[in-house]
Amino acid sequence: MQILRSIQTKTCVDGSLMKEYVLDEPLSEGFLKFLANFGTVRSLEQLRKPYFSFEKDLFISIKGFTGNNIVEVRYKKEFQDLVADYFHLLLFYYRQDESGIASLKGIEESIREKMRVRLGPSKGNRP
Amino acid sequence: MNPVPRGVPSPLIYLNNAATTWPKPPEVCAEVTRCLETPFFEHGRSTAGGVTDYPSATRDALAVFFHAEEPDHFIFTQSATDSLNLLIHGFVKNQKTPFHAITTELEHTSVLRPLHTLEGEGRLTLSTLPFYEGRIDLPEIKKAIQSDTRLVVMTHGSNVLGSLQNIRPVAEYCASNDIFLIVDGSQTVGQIPVNLSEIPAGAFVFTGHKALFGLPGIGGFYLPDPDAIATVRQGGTGTDSSTLVHPQDMPQKFEAGTPNYPGIASLLAGIRFIERFGQDAITNKCRGLTALFTKELKKVTDLTLYTPSPDLPVVSFNIRDLNNDEAGYILANAYGIITRTGLHCAPLVHERIDGGKGCIRASFSYFTTPDECRVATDAIREVAESADSQVHPD
Repeated sequence: MQILRSIQTKTCVDGSLMKEYVLDEPLSEGFLKFLANFGTVRSLEQLRKPYFSFEKDLFISIKGFTGNNIVEVRYKKEFQDLVADYFHLLLFYYRQDESGIASLKGIEESIREKMRVRLGPSKGNRP
Repeated sequence: MNPVPRGVPSPLIYLNNAATTWPKPPEVCAEVTRCLETPFFEHGRSTAGGVTDYPSATRDALAVFFHAEEPDHFIFTQSATDSLNLLIHGFVKNQKTPFHAITTELEHTSVLRPLHTLEGEGRLTLSTLPFYEGRIDLPEIKKAIQSDTRLVVMTHGSNVLGSLQNIRPVAEYCASNDIFLIVDGSQTVGQIPVNLSEIPAGAFVFTGHKALFGLPGIGGFYLPDPDAIATVRQGGTGTDSSTLVHPQDMPQKFEAGTPNYPGIASLLAGIRFIERFGQDAITNKCRGLTALFTKELKKVTDLTLYTPSPDLPVVSFNIRDLNNDEAGYILANAYGIITRTGLHCAPLVHERIDGGKGCIRASFSYFTTPDECRVATDAIREVAESADSQVHPD
């Protein structure tokens, strides 16, 4: 899955950066299963269009409809520079199935390490 | 349902009229077109003749609409926010010493931010009164009065709770106690009859793009006593150009720069539209829609309705287990229902009603239909019933 273009960008009330992307193929159940390896996926399937959301603390949140190729991604405020590529990484490693999960978890750990360094030892917040 | 122009998702049910009304009456669109197709004319700014002097014609229409005595005491601004800033900062500029001001938790940030800024600068001390069941009545205001209270700024109707304030006794009390009252009528003007001959406020603020059906970018205020407010803007007025001192005559005192002619034309046409259909008919229709909508929402379990019977066509609610942002996203993208979510620029109201998380707001206009309300409440019910969905843990 790839991003074709960004159609909307705005800063949200909570300081997160929202971007709306058009993808080259519709969001699928398979992608939701892949996402579930990295955060909390919630789906509301009884609606006119099946809705889903993905939440990953300190990283990003995603919302959209399965079967649709438009997705809204919010990059959390705290470490926006560190997580700016995270959605792109999700799309890239989704294509690699199981090996992609392990690879992305490794990248994710290095991002968390940078977060820990930035927070410093006294903050108590362990990303 | 509304006719949907090209490029707008269809079908579309527009329930965000408390932000900006849509659609606009055809005569508003036609008047704006007519305004743009003819040379702009205003005494002092053009020699074009024989065409409408929109600012003067609209001031006359506003005076009739509001039952106000002085057409020239209607000032055009770019919005209610602009009006409130001019009035609040202009009032403070006129005061030689710091003083006490009163406002309420119901206010929009267009009131709260200027007052907060001035408080931070040491120009005033501020009491922000809590609301009870959506209202702040005169006894609460009287209790907050101090010996140096000189200003009260409060809304006529809440943009979140849809509650109407009993403003007349507040205005009478302030008028008889030398306290300047600024009333924010953004949510009431065009929704209910507003008779300024019965509301002796220091200033009354309105906006054009909501229930007056005008364009965004036009607003104004009525100021019976111009001496109460100092000018915070100076510039071209088309009059007295030989002097560098800004004119103190009305309306020039508060109108520097070329006016928003298309916006003013839209306001004129919007007022004519309301007069043609009758304010009472519009008020009654919107109240009927609000009653229908709230009646249907009360049947939905897993839903919190913040005002069971709003006075104004504004219905705020939250769906349990679904944040308002997600609910608004689903309603818009799966059902074509446009609402507004979040804090609605009224953070203190939300602090009280939902802990500052925000909510979903549906708001109606004369052009909303009962069918649209039914379709929308059915969709909300469907979303609420689905909210107890599967969650895949991390």
